[in-house]
Amino acid sequence: MLIAQLINGLTQGSIYALIAIGFVIIFGTMNLVTFAHGEVYMIGAFMGYFALTILRLPWYLALIMGMGAAWVLGFFIEKIAFRPLRSAGHMPPLLITIGLAIILKDLAVIFLGAENRPVPSIYSETIKIGEIQISLLQLLILALAGILIIVLRLLIQGTKIGRAMRATAQDHEAAYAMGVNINRVFSISFSLASCLGGAAGVLVGIYYNAVYPVMGDTAGLKGFAACIFGGLTSIPGAILGGLIIGVVENLTVQFIASGYRDIVAFLVLVVVLVFRPQGILGKKIRAV
Amino acid sequence: MALYQFTPSRANLKIWLPLVAAVSLFPLFVNNEYILNTAVMAGIYIILASSLNITNGYTGLFSFGHAAFYGIGAYTAAILSTRLGFPFLLTLPLAGLAAACCGAAIAVPTLRLKGIFLALVTIGFQQITYLVIMNWMSLTRGPMGIPAIPPVSFFGFELSGNQQYFYLILVLNLLVLFLLSRIIDSRVGRTFVSIREDELAAQSVSINVFRAKVLSFVIATFFAGIAGAFFAHHARFVSADSFKLEETFLILTMLIVGGMGSFAGPIIGAVSLVILPEVFRFLAEYRGVVYGLIMIAAILFRPEGIAGVPGIISPRGILSKPEKPKAVEEAAP
Amino acid sequence: MSLLKIHSVSVSFGGLAALKKVDVDIRPGEIVGLIGPNGAGKTTLFNCLSGFQAVDEGTIHFQDEALHRLPPHRIAGLGLARTFQSSRIFRRMTVLDHVLLGRHRQQKAGVWGALIRPDWVRREEADSRKRGCEILSFFEDRLLPRVADFADSLSYANRRRLEIARALVSDPQLLLLDEPTAGMNPHESAGIAKLIKRIRDELKVTVFFIEHDMKVIMGVSDRIVVLDHGEKIAEGLPEEIKRNPEVIEAYLGRKHGA
Repeated sequence: MLIAQLINGLTQGSIYALIAIGFVIIFGTMNLVTFAHGEVYMIGAFMGYFALTILRLPWYLALIMGMGAAWVLGFFIEKIAFRPLRSAGHMPPLLITIGLAIILKDLAVIFLGAENRPVPSIYSETIKIGEIQISLLQLLILALAGILIIVLRLLIQGTKIGRAMRATAQDHEAAYAMGVNINRVFSISFSLASCLGGAAGVLVGIYYNAVYPVMGDTAGLKGFAACIFGGLTSIPGAILGGLIIGVVENLTVQFIASGYRDIVAFLVLVVVLVFRPQGILGKKIRAV
Repeated sequence: MALYQFTPSRANLKIWLPLVAAVSLFPLFVNNEYILNTAVMAGIYIILASSLNITNGYTGLFSFGHAAFYGIGAYTAAILSTRLGFPFLLTLPLAGLAAACCGAAIAVPTLRLKGIFLALVTIGFQQITYLVIMNWMSLTRGPMGIPAIPPVSFFGFELSGNQQYFYLILVLNLLVLFLLSRIIDSRVGRTFVSIREDELAAQSVSINVFRAKVLSFVIATFFAGIAGAFFAHHARFVSADSFKLEETFLILTMLIVGGMGSFAGPIIGAVSLVILPEVFRFLAEYRGVVYGLIMIAAILFRPEGIAGVPGIISPRGILSKPEKPKAVEEAAP
Repeated sequence: MSLLKIHSVSVSFGGLAALKKVDVDIRPGEIVGLIGPNGAGKTTLFNCLSGFQAVDEGTIHFQDEALHRLPPHRIAGLGLARTFQSSRIFRRMTVLDHVLLGRHRQQKAGVWGALIRPDWVRREEADSRKRGCEILSFFEDRLLPRVADFADSLSYANRRRLEIARALVSDPQLLLLDEPTAGMNPHESAGIAKLIKRIRDELKVTVFFIEHDMKVIMGVSDRIVVLDHGEKIAEGLPEEIKRNPEVIEAYLGRKHGA
C-alpha cells in the first residue's frame, strides 16, 4: 500500500516538477515571476481535453496540441506583461500576470463552464514489476515527464538558443554585449516554460480523468513551491521539490486526512522561505 | 494640492465634512435594500483597502495575505458570538486582536524577506489559513461555514435592514479612518514611509526597521480583522470561500487602482470597484475579467492609480530593482 | 579624551583585505578629513563605523560604547549620524518630513502617542518642527522655502544638502560625511566647506568626512588621515600631508580635484 502511494506520489510529483521547471526557466533567464503559469497549465489541459474528446486524437497528438496552445499563450503573455516593462523590476509584471490569471480563469469559467470535464481513460491496465504494482498510465506519465526534461536539457546545453538562454541567465548585460538578442531569448524562454506547463496540464487531465477551469490556481502555486524548494534557479532542485511534494502529499492523504493534502506544498513554501530562502540546492549568493 | 497629498484634518474640514454629511444623508433618499447593501460592502472594502495600504502603500511591504486576516476576524466574531454569545461590542475588538496576533506571529519570522519572497510567503500563509479553516471541523465547521450569526445589537436594540447597517459601517469607517490618519501623520507614519523609500537611510536615523515593519503589519491586520467582524454580523454567515486568494487580489486591485500610499487612494479604489459591477450590470458575469483588465491597464498606463503617490510601482519606482532580487536583508549600502 | 576610537580595525572580503589594522582617534570638536585613492577603503571604514559592515578584527568605541557589534539603528541612536556616498534621501517624502524624521531618536511617540496625541506628543512634534526649521535655515534659502516639496523635486546639490540637514537634526555628537561635494561645482563645493566649519563652530558637532576635493579638505580640516589599499599611510596637519612623499606617491598618476 505504501509503495502504491509512493508511485502515485512520484507520478504526481513529476507533473509538479514540469510546472516548477517552467518557473525556474522564467526566473533564471528573466529574473521574474509569473502568476499566470497556472492558467497556462489549465489552458493546455483543456486543449488536450478537446483534442482527446472532440477531435478524437491519440494521446500523443493531444499532448502536442496542449503544449502548442500553451506555447502560443505564453508568447502573448510575455508580450503583454513583460515586454512593455523591461526595466520595471519584478513587481509590475507580477501584478499584470495576476490580472491575466484572473481574466483567463474567469473566461474559462464563463465559456467552458465550471464543472469537471471528464477525460477519457487511456492505458488503465496495471503491470507488475517484481513485487510492485504499477499502472501503465503511471509509467507513461513518468516516462513522458522524463523525456520532456531530457529534451529540455539537450535544448539548453546543445543548441544555439540554449546557449543564449544560459548566457542571459548568467548576466543580461554581458549576453547583450555579446550580441544575444535578449528580447528573443526572453520570449522563447517564456514560451518554453509555458509549453512545459501545458504538457503538465495535459498529463494531469489524463491521469485524473478530469479537467476544470479552476485547476490552475493551486497547481501553479504548488509548482512554485517546488521551484522555491529547489532554489529558484536550479532545475534539478525543482524536480526534487516536485517529487517530494507529490510524495508527501500522498502520504498526508493516506495517514492524516485528505483535506490537508494541499497544505503540504504551502507548508514547504513557507518553511523554505523562512528558514532557507535560497532553497535546498540554490547557492546562497546567486539564487537569493 | 494633489489628490494624493490630501489627509483630512481640522485644517481642511471644509473639504471633507460636506462629503461626510452628504454620505450620511444618502440612505434617507435611497430606500432600496440592494443599493444600501452595496454601500455597506463599499464601507467594508474601504476599511480593507485602507488597512492594506498601511503595509503595501506606506511601508512598501508587498503583502498578499490580507484576505486571510479578514477571514480570521470574521471567523473569530462568528465563533465568539455563536458559541459564547459575545455581543458585537466585544467581538469587534477581539476579532481585530485575533487577526493582529496572527499578523504578529507571521510577521516576526517572515519580515526579513523582501519583494517577491515576502509576497510568496504571505501567499503561502493565505493558502494555509484557508485550508486550515476548511479542515478544522471542530472549530470552524469546515466547508459548511458558520451560519446563524447574530445581528449587531446594542444593549438589546437589534440592527435590522441595510439602512441601519449603513450607519453603523459609516461610523466604523469614520473611526477607523480617523485612527489611520493619526497613525500616518505621526512619527510612526513617517517611519513607515522612510522604510519604503530607503531602508538603509532609515536605519541611519536610528529607526529599528524590523520592529517598524512588524508594527505596520500588526496595524494592517488588526483593521482587516475589524472589517471581518462587521462582515460576519452583517452577512450572518461566514464560509472560507469568501476569504481566498482571489479576495486578496480584489482588495489589492482596489488599492492599486485607487492609489497606494495616500489617504484618499484606497477609499476611491474601494468605492469605484464595488460600485462598478453594479452600475454596469451587464458586466456582472464578467466581473473577474473586468477587474483583471482594470488592474492591467493601471499597471501599464497609470501605476499610481487615481490618487496614489506616483512612483511606488512604476518603471523607475523604488520597487524596481534591475538586479536579481535579494531574499533577505544585507548590510552594506 | 577621544570621541571616536578606531583600534586596529581589519575587514576583508573573500581574500581581499579592504581594511588592514586601521587606527584612528577623533577628539571632540575636531574636523578630520579622510582621503585616499579610489578603493582605499574609506567608505568601508565609514560602513564599519555606522554598523553596515562587520569588522573582522579590531574595535570601535564611541564615547566608550563599543560600536562594532551594534546594529546600525542603535549606533545612530547613540549620536553618530552619517550621509552616504550616493545621496540616500527619501524621494517621496517632503523636505519637512525629512527633518522631522531626522529627529527620530529625540522623539518617543509610538502608536499610542500617535492615536491619543497627549500634550507631550504635541510638544515633541512642535519642538522637532522648530529644530528642523532651525537646521534648514542653515542652508540659507535653499531648503526652507521648499519645505513642502517632495525631495525628488530638488536639485542634485539641494538633495545632498537635505541629506546633511537630516543628519544634523538629530543633534549628533559626530557627523560622518561621505563625499559631501561629489558632483558639485566649485561654487557649491566652497559652500559645503563653509557649512562644515559652521557645523563644528555653531552646532558643536565633530565632523569626520571623506573627500576627493583637495581644496575643501585642505581648507577645512584640522587633521587629515590618509588611507591607501586599506592601510593608514599618513596622518597629520594639512600642510604636512600635502608634502608627504608617500601620500603624493599614492596619488601619483591620479587626478586630484582642485
